[in-house]
Amino acid sequence: MRAALVACLVALALGGIAQGAAGARKASCPGAWAKGWQVLANKVQAPVYCPTWMPNPLDAKIGGDYQDAYGIGKDRSYLVSFLEHGDLGSGDVHVNFRGFPGRTVIPRCPAPVGHGTVPCFSDPGGHVRANRIRATVYRVNQGEDQWHILLAWRYKGTLYTVSQHVINPYDSATKVLQNMERVLKGLVLVKPAT
Amino acid sequence: MRITRRRFLGGAAAAAVGAGGIYELVDRLGSAPARPVVEPAGMPPEQHLIDLSTVHSEGVEVVVPPLHSEIVTATLDVHDLRAAQRDLEDVLRTLDARHPLTAAGLGVTVAWGMPYFERLVPAQAKAHLPYDRRANRPALLPTRRFPSDPSETLLERNDVAVLMRSDRREHIDAARTAIFDLPFFTVTSIRRGFAGGGFDGGRSLPKKMAMAAGVPGADLIPDGAELFLGFTSTQKAGLGPGKIANHETLGYVDLRSGYFHGGTHMHLSHIAEDLEAWYLNFDFDERLLTAFRPGMTGVHQGRQTIPQGPAQFSSESQLERQFHQTGRFGHSASIQATSRLLQDTTGADGTLYPKGTAIPQRADFNTLDNPFAFSSDPKRDGMSKEASAGVHFVVFNPSGDDFERNRLAMDGVLPGGKKLAVPPRNRAQGFNSVLTTTHRQNFLVPPRRNRSFPLVEL
Repeated sequence: MRAALVACLVALALGGIAQGAAGARKASCPGAWAKGWQVLANKVQAPVYCPTWMPNPLDAKIGGDYQDAYGIGKDRSYLVSFLEHGDLGSGDVHVNFRGFPGRTVIPRCPAPVGHGTVPCFSDPGGHVRANRIRATVYRVNQGEDQWHILLAWRYKGTLYTVSQHVINPYDSATKVLQNMERVLKGLVLVKPAT
Repeated sequence: MRITRRRFLGGAAAAAVGAGGIYELVDRLGSAPARPVVEPAGMPPEQHLIDLSTVHSEGVEVVVPPLHSEIVTATLDVHDLRAAQRDLEDVLRTLDARHPLTAAGLGVTVAWGMPYFERLVPAQAKAHLPYDRRANRPALLPTRRFPSDPSETLLERNDVAVLMRSDRREHIDAARTAIFDLPFFTVTSIRRGFAGGGFDGGRSLPKKMAMAAGVPGADLIPDGAELFLGFTSTQKAGLGPGKIANHETLGYVDLRSGYFHGGTHMHLSHIAEDLEAWYLNFDFDERLLTAFRPGMTGVHQGRQTIPQGPAQFSSESQLERQFHQTGRFGHSASIQATSRLLQDTTGADGTLYPKGTAIPQRADFNTLDNPFAFSSDPKRDGMSKEASAGVHFVVFNPSGDDFERNRLAMDGVLPGGKKLAVPPRNRAQGFNSVLTTTHRQNFLVPPRRNRSFPLVEL
């Protein structure tokens, strides 16, 4: 597909999801957020990515005002989401972070029609590179990431994703992708405490 | 995950849309396709036919639609029907003489609704309107809703609709002015739109227009898409050829006196399209099987023009089998069960139409109207100044029943009443989950010789 989104990406390269290298920058997980992400890394026994920037008005404080879902599966996969739900018409801002420790294949989700399964992330629309991470842009996603634009990348045998809902006030895929690029640029790797 | 869905118009061009100014961009954003020079010639008996060139897109012959299309609907306030007939015909003949019947020139199709026949020529209508012998019903049926239509779908009662098609907007503007300056017309709506694939590469007109208007999902439309939903829909082999949609060609319709020989049935609807739902919830493979049929394989990602010839015909039994295997049916496949010839057929015009030939002749075009560019009753029509992606759907069939068969099949209701058990507007039901029909009306299109106030002279 002549992907519309590709046009606005700054960095294009060949191939599929590539190995990402993390955290060469000196930035660190913001102080008020760091504890929660460190606890998460410890629980899943794998590095997790802490954001240093979030779309307005969200922060990324686990256990904070904007935290929505927080779950860790038996397989150590995790989902942490942050949500501002604008009841008065200001719109929704919804960002999900996922990790699948020890797995690099895209997981399967129940098919929307029929009984089979489909990839949880599909319709790749190019790549974005920032912060030494090369992520693939997925435009059709399932479950908690439905109606989101999602970036996925691999690092040391683990698949990571970050996604945001396309909805007012970030009401186009292009605007959301710009947010996701900015989140990607600011990610900081938090390793589990030994 | 989708939590709420609030429509919000972005884009700096939004303010211009309300005034209908967005369509001026068609001439700036799109260039008129190169058309062969065609000398004005004798007009065909049919009003609904127009000479259109073809190109090849991804190896498939594709009809190049006119850049601009417009439909004006109206009611009538006439005291002297014969004089009105003369006046309208004079205007139409002047337009015919001024423009060749091509996309570079102008195509004008005048269609008449049931209110016209019932109110102004009831006795003549009773004697002369064509009758669908296959359905055992009149060829012009009362407009109805279909299973996937919301209850809010407005069933309109216009006296007349005029379809104007051209690559040149000024031709349409001049025709609209000439026709609707006649004193007996009260315009009820103006519906504008555009079509045009990026068949020569680059961004198509629908993509450019959607981006300019800032409609949700515009940035997700593939660059070269002929229509907002991303697939080419004017494959030559997928459109009814020649006179096949005439009342008389396939023998479905009893023409009675023959007054409507060379005429056809026209259905007009406005359909809103949720582009974000289409592009953010359906990946390419699902869009493909939703638009065409489940089980398609070997189609490379991003292909836009899919062959739609007799070889791609899906029979009713194939449709049912696919449905039972996959739990879903494709838009084209479901309609083909009723819209394609089930056997080789020689038409009344002597033409042999092979099995699998398409019957309907579509003239649909994308629009940013919400739902119209103008309405005489904005509240009733739900007018909004915000641009919205949609399609003004125009299709010619031999009869109203033939149209209904196709439209019901789109909802999984097959000829004979068998139903594919999918709830209305379910994702398994082709396009229906992302389409919302706002308005509908049936019309008859008389032959050119009787296009102006049909039957009043009798």
